[in-house]
Amino acid sequence: MCEDHPGPGGQESAAPEFSALLEDSAEDLYEHAPCGYLSTLLDGTIAKINTTLLGWLGYEREDVVGRRRFAELLTVGGRIYHETHFAPLLRMQGELGGVAFELKAADGSRLPVLVTSTVKTGTDGQAQLIRTTIFDARDRRAYEQELLRAREEAERERDRVQRLARTLQQTLLPPALAEVPGVQVAAYYHPASADEVGGDFYDLFPLTGDTWGFFLGDVSGKGAAAAVVTSLARYTLRAAAVHDPDPATVLDRLNTVLHHEYRGSDPRYCTVVQGHLRPGGDGAAVTLATGGHPPALLIRADGTSAFVPVPGGQLVGALPRARFATADVLLHPGDTLLLYTDGLTEARTQGRDRYSEEQLQEYLADLAPTTAPAVITAVTGLLAGFGDGVEDDTALLALGIPLPGGDRP
Amino acid sequence: MTGTPFSVTTRTTEAGAVVTVEGELDVATAPRLRAGIDTLVLRSGQRLVVDLAGVTFCDSSGISTLIAARNVAEAAGAGIALAAVPGRLRRTFGLIGLADFFPTYPSAEDAFGD
Amino acid sequence: MCAVSMRTRNNVTVTGREEGPTLLLAHGFGCDQNLWRLVVPELARRYRVVLFDHTGAGRSDLSAWTPERYGSLDGYADDVLAICHELDLRDVVLVGHSVSAMIAVLAANREPDRFAKLVLLTPSPCYVDDGDYRGGFSRADIDELLAALESNYLGWSATMAPVIMGNPDRPELGEELTNSFCRTDPAIARVFARVTFLSDNRADLAKVTVPTLILECANDAIAPPEVGRFTHEQIPGSTLVTLNATGHCPQLSAPEATAEAITAFASGQ
Repeated sequence: MCEDHPGPGGQESAAPEFSALLEDSAEDLYEHAPCGYLSTLLDGTIAKINTTLLGWLGYEREDVVGRRRFAELLTVGGRIYHETHFAPLLRMQGELGGVAFELKAADGSRLPVLVTSTVKTGTDGQAQLIRTTIFDARDRRAYEQELLRAREEAERERDRVQRLARTLQQTLLPPALAEVPGVQVAAYYHPASADEVGGDFYDLFPLTGDTWGFFLGDVSGKGAAAAVVTSLARYTLRAAAVHDPDPATVLDRLNTVLHHEYRGSDPRYCTVVQGHLRPGGDGAAVTLATGGHPPALLIRADGTSAFVPVPGGQLVGALPRARFATADVLLHPGDTLLLYTDGLTEARTQGRDRYSEEQLQEYLADLAPTTAPAVITAVTGLLAGFGDGVEDDTALLALGIPLPGGDRP
Repeated sequence: MTGTPFSVTTRTTEAGAVVTVEGELDVATAPRLRAGIDTLVLRSGQRLVVDLAGVTFCDSSGISTLIAARNVAEAAGAGIALAAVPGRLRRTFGLIGLADFFPTYPSAEDAFGD
Repeated sequence: MCAVSMRTRNNVTVTGREEGPTLLLAHGFGCDQNLWRLVVPELARRYRVVLFDHTGAGRSDLSAWTPERYGSLDGYADDVLAICHELDLRDVVLVGHSVSAMIAVLAANREPDRFAKLVLLTPSPCYVDDGDYRGGFSRADIDELLAALESNYLGWSATMAPVIMGNPDRPELGEELTNSFCRTDPAIARVFARVTFLSDNRADLAKVTVPTLILECANDAIAPPEVGRFTHEQIPGSTLVTLNATGHCPQLSAPEATAEAITAFASGQ
């Protein structure tokens, strides 16, 4: 620590310089400290102030001591903050540190500072005065402002992303489902995230004069990449359904298209229920093919319910050739058929438990005889109840035959 | 909320490689499985076995990653198999017909048996 | 929506004489019910003292705060009335400090029968100067305050940590307090600041029918004497008392005088 270095007198030893340091009086240390020192009475009247602070502010000592209060050195906003936060907190705690203020100099300029105060108490425990240290915070303020600016920009970006996701999402869903005589149709889409576009899709559309096509599906993954697949899937399914009366053939077509596009290192697939609907008599005939998708749930008017078994269907787009199976269902008055995606049956209900197909079946069978809109409303309520437990997007499509004679449950 | 923390461990043998996955395999964790598989070097005739005994949940991202693993193995001329698929997953995999794509065995040892 | 307990939601504490008249103390901007600590012991000797934290402050349930409900003082007045309903408080002497003075005025105007008296501590019906009316601040001043709150959010995180403190002024109180004072969501604080300092409740003063005491400080940077006088003139039959105290929180800087003034008014007549 004691290094020899030449001083003004040529070769000097360290000792005289050391004592010069020691002779530096406490007074000098106080007056010319690298920070500002201030002592005030309890009501804020300035009792003592060091030269450094006077220099920063551009005041003479006699302008300030006994004449001004500390709060008067602050900007108006700072004064309000001082009265409502700083002073009360200091009073209660006896000390307070690191509060950012701006001081007003005599020439009107502003000096960003950090203020630390302690309350000095006498031997009787009564508060006597407030001692304050003031640090120049110009650099720190510049840094904070940079952080604030960066944060605001990040928030704006986030808003933009969310708006984009919402717009994109809206274009991927059918604006209005086709009307089918004698059949009630209802649907609902529940996005899991505001930031990312989901991968669920559905549609209902006329095919020939007496037949309507429909599908409901779930593309793997989320975000822009999944959205592209969703678009492709919908387009392909709609086009293929017009040409092919057999839903299994339609799925085969989709499989070929998707597999061709997405084999390799970033495979994308989807699970789909594809079908058509032909109203007739007092109900409708439905033919379904499933590609790896959860089975549709049929709720009959008499309260019985069953999942429509379409065993052996495989996910769509993963392999060059995939297998699909078909099933036929007849819908009678009071019957409702619900298609859904696994966002519903895999939602967390409480803590780690997940919902299930069985619970869904139990819940909805109780509503029989019911209608498509009623089922959608019930399941929508169920999803709302799960709150954050719904981790994946959920799409619902219900087809039902109303009971005759205006008897709508 | 999750039980077992997610983990991927890989082990290579003469016959191929075993990738053991534990915890929830979903959109957040699937990339780590993917990364694990990408570190493997498979030769023609070998087998990649994915041991799923400790997997508590698997969604479409997990399934996509398994399909990607299959593609990687196929590209190397190797085979792929799943081992010790837990009950709930067996059901999901059955629903989507994964059995045709992935031979399934009760354990990793069995997977290398034939 | 299921009914929420105000007691829990707003950290309601009840102390003092069970059979005494009821004093409901509403804290102002920037703090929580701890602000009343120095006057509560004195008041508790005579009254049943009810304290609470406004939604968004202190230990209240922050999730209950929405910008829609608390974008004006009416939401806070609703809460005061809800607390009165839930605890079945009657003939209440409502003491409102700072912005809560106007919240008290709004609550009393809605249900005058529930309140025996109002004590408005350092009130201001409008902080911004308007023509002949002197509120003490310009719009630019308020904008500056909001900017100050913004920068302090970044700089304050260390100071916001709870401080276990004894009571240097009143050693006989003895207990240690975890100080949740001033600790609130900065976003909420910013909206509350805007609502407080940009509200204009001058027109509500004339509608007050409950006997009212205005307690102002001789040297208050937030509420200049013109404001106390204006409030007194507008509220019919009100009493104005000027405390020889400095600052905006006389319950802290001059607790004895404050408690005495409240007691004299609450018990008198």
